Formats: sequence, C-alpha cells, structure tokens
Amino acid sequence: MLELLANGILTILQWKYMVPLFFGTLVGVIGGSLPGVTITMTVIIILPFTYGLDPLAGLAAMTGVYVGGSTGGLITCCLLGIPGSPASIATTFDGFPMARNGEPGRAIWLGVWASVWGGLLGALCLVFLTGPLAAIALEFGPWEYFSLFVLAMAMVAGLAEASLLKGLLSTAIGLLITVVGTDPIGSVPRFTFGSEFIGGGFAFLPVLIGIFAFAQIMTDIEKAKASNPQRSLSASSVHFERFSHLKVNWEIIKQPFLLAWATIVGLIIGILPAIGGSASSVMAYDQAKKFSKTPERFGKGHPEGIIASEASNNANVSGSLMTIMAFGIPGDAVTAVMLGAMTIHGIQSGPLFISQNPGLSYGIYAAYILAHPLMLLICWAFMPIMLRVTSVRLAVLAPVVLVLCVVGAYALNNTMNSVYVLLIFGVFGYVLVKAGFPLAPLILGLILGDQIEVNLIRAIMTDSDPLLFLTRPISGGLLLAAVLSVVLAIWQHLRHQKRTAGEEDADF
Amino acid sequence: MRLGRDGIAGLIGLAVSLMLLPQALGLPKLPIVPVGPGFYPSMVLVFMALTSAALLAQDLLARRRTGPADAAAAPPRAYGLVATAFAVVAGYIALMPFIGFRLSTVLFVAAFQLVLDRPASALSWAKLVAIAVGTSAVTYAVFEHYLLVLLPRGAWTGW
Repeated sequence: MLELLANGILTILQWKYMVPLFFGTLVGVIGGSLPGVTITMTVIIILPFTYGLDPLAGLAAMTGVYVGGSTGGLITCCLLGIPGSPASIATTFDGFPMARNGEPGRAIWLGVWASVWGGLLGALCLVFLTGPLAAIALEFGPWEYFSLFVLAMAMVAGLAEASLLKGLLSTAIGLLITVVGTDPIGSVPRFTFGSEFIGGGFAFLPVLIGIFAFAQIMTDIEKAKASNPQRSLSASSVHFERFSHLKVNWEIIKQPFLLAWATIVGLIIGILPAIGGSASSVMAYDQAKKFSKTPERFGKGHPEGIIASEASNNANVSGSLMTIMAFGIPGDAVTAVMLGAMTIHGIQSGPLFISQNPGLSYGIYAAYILAHPLMLLICWAFMPIMLRVTSVRLAVLAPVVLVLCVVGAYALNNTMNSVYVLLIFGVFGYVLVKAGFPLAPLILGLILGDQIEVNLIRAIMTDSDPLLFLTRPISGGLLLAAVLSVVLAIWQHLRHQKRTAGEEDADF
Repeated sequence: MRLGRDGIAGLIGLAVSLMLLPQALGLPKLPIVPVGPGFYPSMVLVFMALTSAALLAQDLLARRRTGPADAAAAPPRAYGLVATAFAVVAGYIALMPFIGFRLSTVLFVAAFQLVLDRPASALSWAKLVAIAVGTSAVTYAVFEHYLLVLLPRGAWTGW
C-alpha cells in the first residue's frame, strides 16, 4: 500500500499532473474566498478544462479545487465576516472577531494551518480506510446496493432544513429525471413523447451544472441591489500584524484532542452521502464549544473555534473522497461533479475502483495529500492578490462563470443540445430554490437513479422474492436504518415546528 | 382557499406524476425480464404522487390553522433583474449556433454586465468592452488551442 502511495506521489509530482493540481488548488482558494461562489460552482467552472486532460490530471485539478476551496472560504470569513463558502460558516464566528481585535494574520493562518493539519489527518484515513470500506462494499449484492442507495437518499432528504416532505419530493424529482430516455435493460423509450431531444435522456452534468450554477448566480443577482454594509469593508486594505507561524502551529498542536475530534467529525460527515462541509464545520464548532474549558470565549475570537471549523471542513473532503471511491456514492455535490467527470473518461467508481485502477486511486490520494502544501504555498504567496480578487463585482464574475458553464455543457459531446438542457434545468433549479426545495436530495436522486433501477431489476432477476430485501441481514439493516432516518427527521421537524410555530413562508 | 407555494408545488408534483403514471404502466413488458420497463418509473411516480399529495395537504392544513402568511415580511428581491438575466442567457444560447461562440460571447458578457451594472463613465464602458472581448478571446484560445475543444461556429458568420 505504501509503495503504491509513494508511486502515486511520484506520479503527481510530474509536471503533467502537478500543473493541473496547482491551478486547481489556486482556483479553489480563489473561488472559495469569493462570497457567493461555492466550491461546487468552482469545480463546475474548472470541469470543462479537464475534458482534454488525462483522467488523473483532471481529477487532480478537481481535488485541488476541493482542498483549496475548503480553505479559501476562511479569508473573507476572517476579514469581512462573510463566509466565502458555506464550508467556512463556523470560522466566521471567531475568525472575524479575532481579525477585528487587530489579529487578522493570526486568524487567517490559524485557519490555514488547521486546514492543513485536519486535511492531512483525514488523508491518513483516506489512504488506510478506503480499501477496507471497499472490501466491505464488495460483499454487497444488488439487494444491499439498492438498500444502501435508499438509505443514502433517506438520510439526505431527512436533512433538508425546510421540510422533510420537500426533501423527499426533491429526491423523487431527481429519480424521475433519470427515467426519462431509454430503459437500461431493454432500451424501451420512456417519457420521451417522440422527441429526439430527450430520446437519449438527460446527461447528468448539464443538468447538475444548470441546477447548481444558475440557482446560485440568479439568487445572488436577486440580492445584488440590496446593500451589505459589511461588504463595504475592503479586504484589500487589510494590513497584517507581525506574527509567528511557529506559534500559530503550536496553538494547534497543543490541542491534539480538539484537532483529532474535529477531524473525526469532518470525516464522518464527509462519509455520509451528500452532506456538505458546512454541516461538518458547524458541528465541529459546536462540539469544540461543548468540550472546551473556556466555552464563554467562543464567538469572541477564540482560536479553538477557528481550529475546529477549519480542521473539520478539510477532513470532510477526505471523507467524501472515501465514499465516492469505496461505494461510488458522492459524499457531496463536489464529488458528484467528480463522479460525472470520471464517467466522461469511462471510469466506473465503486468497490472495484481501487483494485481495477490502482494507479488512478493512489494518484487521487497523492493529489489530495500534495494539495495541502500547495494550498499553504498559494495562501502564503498570493494572499495580497486574493484579497483584491474578493472585491470582484458580480457584474463581472457572473457572465464569466456562465460562459464557462455553457462551454462545460457544450464540450461534453460537442452539441448544443447539452446547452439547451443546461438552460432548461437552470430555470428549473432556480424555481426549485425559490419554492424552498433543497437541491442536495435532487442531485443524489439524479446520480443514484440509474443504479437503483439496475440493482432493483438485477435483484428481481436473480430471485423474484421481494422479502429478500428485508431478510438479507445487511440489506434489511440498511432499510431499517433508512426508515429510522426518516422517523428521526420527522421527529426533529415536529420539534422544530413547535419551536417556530407561527413563522410561515411568504406566498409566491 | 388560496394555496401557498408548498401547496402549489405539491399540486404540480401530483399533476405531473398522475399524468405520467398511466404512460409508465402502459409500457410494453419484456420477455426476459420479470418486471417491465415501467415497473421502476411507476414506483418513482407513486412515491412522487404520495409526497406531493402530502405536501399539498400539509400546506392546506397549515393555512387552515394559521391563515394566509404575511407576504410583506419577505425581504425585497430583484426578480425583474433575474428575469432579464435569464433572457440574456437564453438570447446568448439562441444566437450561438447562428453567429458562433466568439461573437455571441462578446455580446453576452457585455449585455450581462450592462444589465447588472450600467457603466457611468467612459472608462467603465472601456472596461466593460475589454472584459467582454477578453473573456471571449481567452476562453476561445484556451479551449480551442490548448484543450482541443471545438467551440460552436456560426451558421451565418461561418466562424
């Protein structure tokens, strides 16, 4: 294993892979630091650039974006009090007060170094636990896969903040999109209405890009005219105080329990399907506060808050990568895009991924590990430029991002059809967001829909007894967990409704 | 009774699923597979119909209990700007097959900037044009020359 990892590192150190990894990390840090630009959108922006690259080079670039984006968000968190990306939300709670107390350098570099430590601890788990997880997944038959996918969707739908029903309906919409086109067994056309345009179904990536990018950009445009007093602070005018990197590192290392616990929280949240870094960041912050000897200092510039949030959101990346490589299920929207990119290159992720593609899988591990020192270097060398970039106007950013989205959709198969799909689902995604529907369950339904159908049919073809889904121990256990997940979500929603009784959403 | 947005969404979901369900059930069966191609879509549609109906019922019940929500509490949003932005994107995509990627991108980036932030000085106009031309040129150069992606040519312009 270590030999394969060493080979992976040597491979990534070649210019062919190092350059995409470097640029991916740079774009990730910049994208992450721009308020309103999420890591998902940044990875969507970089996606078309990876089509012409070697699969490992493309995946290295995306891994770089993922790692860089998870850290980049802390820059605006600390300097402007606005999370650059949702994964850094909890960093704002203490990073901004610390910067306002005259220590912006310490705030940012505590976050950056905590990201590196959390990320590298997460890398240990990624390297050593993904294989055993994949070995467990290899024991799965179609019944277990079907039940696993059902559990994943139940969990994600249950996590929808607004409403469990909307989460479930969003999942159903995602599943419905996947059944349009020809069926996977007999190639019978379904819901095509005789149209050639949708005869082949909807390609995953244009749908994903449309839903995510448009929903995000249009929501930002909605608020464009609203004034934001905090934004009027210019990040580029910040002057860093003198501080020592050694001291900052000592502040992190002297709290091994905090660092380890935040990493574990991030890792577990990352492994759970389609839950983003924001949940891990907030949960780790909450845990750090509960375990802290000085909880009263949280929210006033406490280093523990920054360390917990940043170590956790970078460890979250390794958890998401583990899920995609061991089970073929995306840990979040970013890995969903990576899964789509793998499909374009003809690579099937899942339990056989590591054994069938050892070079590629250890290359991804290596890219993940090497992205951390690169991110550190980028933050050190390009901080002044990044501070300037954070003040880029939406009027400039939005059209450039949209052009790249259009190119990304077009370049998939060099037809305008994908671009039309992009626009259709862009409008649809925006409408869904305005109707208060969570997008994560839809995306998971979209990704897993085909696999659910194939495994369901395969199970029935092997043995037509439907009770096998319940009587096979792992499958039954997974379905039970799915039911419990929904019951738990219903209980939480009822409790939440009681607390917020009377607060209703406005009409359309 | 006036429906809220959840009720409207539930109603649309229910209508779509009930409209598609007969189609799914009517799909031909295959001899080699114990369940036909309509089996799984039917499951999905029934699931969708149930969740939509539940969402509709939840909205109706909530409104019966609390009455219509106060729309005035919502923060102001620039929906007109969003509609214009979508129209500009639609125009860009519609024009691309006719005038090609390069020209349509210049027009799109310029138009989008104009919609969001109208320039007030000659320098701002120059910046707007430079960003529009620069975006098109850099994207074209990177994708066509380095990544070997053939971007759309215009049927009218030929390039």
